[in-house]
Amino acid sequence: MRPNFFHHLHPPTIPAAQARWRYTLGAGGLAIFLMLVLGVTGILEMFYYIPTPDQAGLSIQTITYQVPFGALVRNLHFWAAQLLLIVIAVHLVRVVFTGAYAPPRRFNYLLGLALFVIAILLDFTGYVLRWDIGVQWALVVGTNLIKTIPWIGSELYIILTGSTQPGIATLIRFYAWHIFGLMLGAAILLVWHIFRVRRDGGIAIPPPALRTDNKRITRYELVRREVLAMLFSGAALILLAIFLPAPLDEPITQTAEVLGEARAPWFFLWIQQMLKWGDPFFWGVVVPVLLLVLLALIPYIFPKPADRELGRWFPKSNRLAQVTLAVIVLVVIILSIVARLSMPGGPSAS
Amino acid sequence: MNRSLLLGSGALLLVLVLAWWLTSRQPKPVLLIPTLTGKPEYCLTCHSDLAQISPSHPVKTFGCVICHGGDALALNADQAHSSMRGGANPSDLSVVQQSCGGGNCHSGTAADNSDHIQRVMGSVQSTYAGAISTMLYTFGAEPDLTARFGIHAVSDDVITTKTGVPALKVFDPATETNPFIKEFATNCLDCHINAKPLTGQPFDRLTGCAACHTPKIDSFSKGQIHKLTTAIPYTQCNTCHNQGNYDLRTMTFVQRTDQPTDRLHNYYQPIAQFTKCEYTLDCVDCHTRTEAMGDGDIHSNETQIQYIQCQTCHGTPSQLPQTKTLTDPNDIAFRLALLNPIVDPKVGDTILVTDKGEPLWNTRVLPDGTYQLVGKATGQVFTFRPVMGSGCTQIGTDQSSAYCHTCHSVQR
Repeated sequence: MRPNFFHHLHPPTIPAAQARWRYTLGAGGLAIFLMLVLGVTGILEMFYYIPTPDQAGLSIQTITYQVPFGALVRNLHFWAAQLLLIVIAVHLVRVVFTGAYAPPRRFNYLLGLALFVIAILLDFTGYVLRWDIGVQWALVVGTNLIKTIPWIGSELYIILTGSTQPGIATLIRFYAWHIFGLMLGAAILLVWHIFRVRRDGGIAIPPPALRTDNKRITRYELVRREVLAMLFSGAALILLAIFLPAPLDEPITQTAEVLGEARAPWFFLWIQQMLKWGDPFFWGVVVPVLLLVLLALIPYIFPKPADRELGRWFPKSNRLAQVTLAVIVLVVIILSIVARLSMPGGPSAS
Repeated sequence: MNRSLLLGSGALLLVLVLAWWLTSRQPKPVLLIPTLTGKPEYCLTCHSDLAQISPSHPVKTFGCVICHGGDALALNADQAHSSMRGGANPSDLSVVQQSCGGGNCHSGTAADNSDHIQRVMGSVQSTYAGAISTMLYTFGAEPDLTARFGIHAVSDDVITTKTGVPALKVFDPATETNPFIKEFATNCLDCHINAKPLTGQPFDRLTGCAACHTPKIDSFSKGQIHKLTTAIPYTQCNTCHNQGNYDLRTMTFVQRTDQPTDRLHNYYQPIAQFTKCEYTLDCVDCHTRTEAMGDGDIHSNETQIQYIQCQTCHGTPSQLPQTKTLTDPNDIAFRLALLNPIVDPKVGDTILVTDKGEPLWNTRVLPDGTYQLVGKATGQVFTFRPVMGSGCTQIGTDQSSAYCHTCHSVQR
């Protein structure tokens, strides 16, 4: 068979161990697929979405209720965005729990982490674009957190929101960040990340001398597996989109007000819970940033995973890194659950 | 090549067909762009079977959202209804200004006869000022019967009558110390038009404008009633009136226990005196819009606003009732008749009017000098004579209804 364009994006052959589901969980590939889905559905939404405070909520209602298959497209965009964060988190956990960040992949680990941060910001800006009362708490409280940063807080707030309070300038800025600024960053970093995977010798496995399994698969087999994964995850995504519609409340009318109960999007629930503990700058800005720094330092401060242990789960040589990440993940999950349980009436998650 | 790829493609195709099938089963959106707002709304997708609320609020002109609020584009019931004003009743006084107000609607000027909301907000039916001031005076909390408190705060810049007061403050039971007044506040604040009605079928009504203008059919719980009318039957008035008495010793409302089967027995409390017309006509056949909805001033009690007497229609032994010949095609009488077309008055017709000049637009003077009244809620035609020229010997200055009841009351 003559390799087509998509085959050529892959190396002619790769070690079979690099492409095992039980090793990679397919999380990186799935994240790329979800980003493609998000790109396509996002472009479709742009034909109808109007980024002004009085039209934003209404235009989403138009997409949801009047545009043929608009609800399907919007729900796909929503679910792909939620799943993307989970899939990236799983990808990160896989990389740390298998010690795959070891040199020469330290830099690509940082690229991946940056992509994670961008994906979270994309999710948050997309969430705010709904401009309905469901996002109001997070919009007001989230942007107010910026103000608490010493020295530059007020300036940063104005740069971010375009005014002294959330309003028309905020919406257009969030929109521009969502569809252009962050998307551009994500696209560049994604291509770079994928390039670095190849440059660094593919997915982490022991060097040839230490390998026990020398089987290789062709690019045809690799593409076949990727297509298979896309078909099934695409079908699952459509099922989710059909049966679990994305949330939508009535449009915001009073932007300056914080309405009702605290309700951050689900991926920020852990921060919402910490905000109850006191100083918003410390708990809402310093602690999350420190956690991010700690994650970024994992390849640099913890013992290097042994070459021969690469390509398998839970190598003994990097236990400390595994435990550190496990603790962070557990704390985030527990805080999120506590925050969710303390919400009366169970408002929409995102 | 590959069974798994085929399987995957099949799965994707299957869910795509499922998505298409589910989408095709959605109801086709029904678009309405009312001429007053020019904004699209899709309420009729589900509510196409709802009757038009009144001929003067045609749905093509008003649409739904201008009165009800709600998310006009949503086709999901929960979301579409989430921002509705006043739930199912946009005329609740808490939202009536947004729903029914506006210079061209029901909060216009007195000169234009479109100041309904201002009048209702200050009327004793909504302030409950009469009962509150009576209680405060009775238990020594106020020096006289002048109203100072109401269910809601209201003020009036232009006082046109002798009994008008400039403003009422909110009656706040929490600040009262007298146990009787506290008890009154707990048990007795159910009889104003914005109060949630007492439990039970006889009390079943909505609040705000709809308390009167949306007459119940069987029970509100049985289904939607989408109707506004000025043809208000006595049964609607009876959802507040004639349902029992207050016991001042216990400060409780005692519901009537009789179960009337005909209108004669339904109309009044057992010991009341009344004449035939008082139980054959509907309340609105005699009592005017000013009496029911207020005259624009804030009054201290019902007696300051209610002024229709037997003589309004019947005159006295020495005087015929007041009449007016309709000469102006813009006379309010024509507008009122248009809203409830039980009569078709023409320029040149002579009708009865009240002391204050309000037209009794459902009456007319017949050529033989007698009068005709058409029931506003029933369309029934009644003819009646003036007192003058009859055998009545009542002296002209004693004309309150109690004097008429002396001879003309009906026995039960």
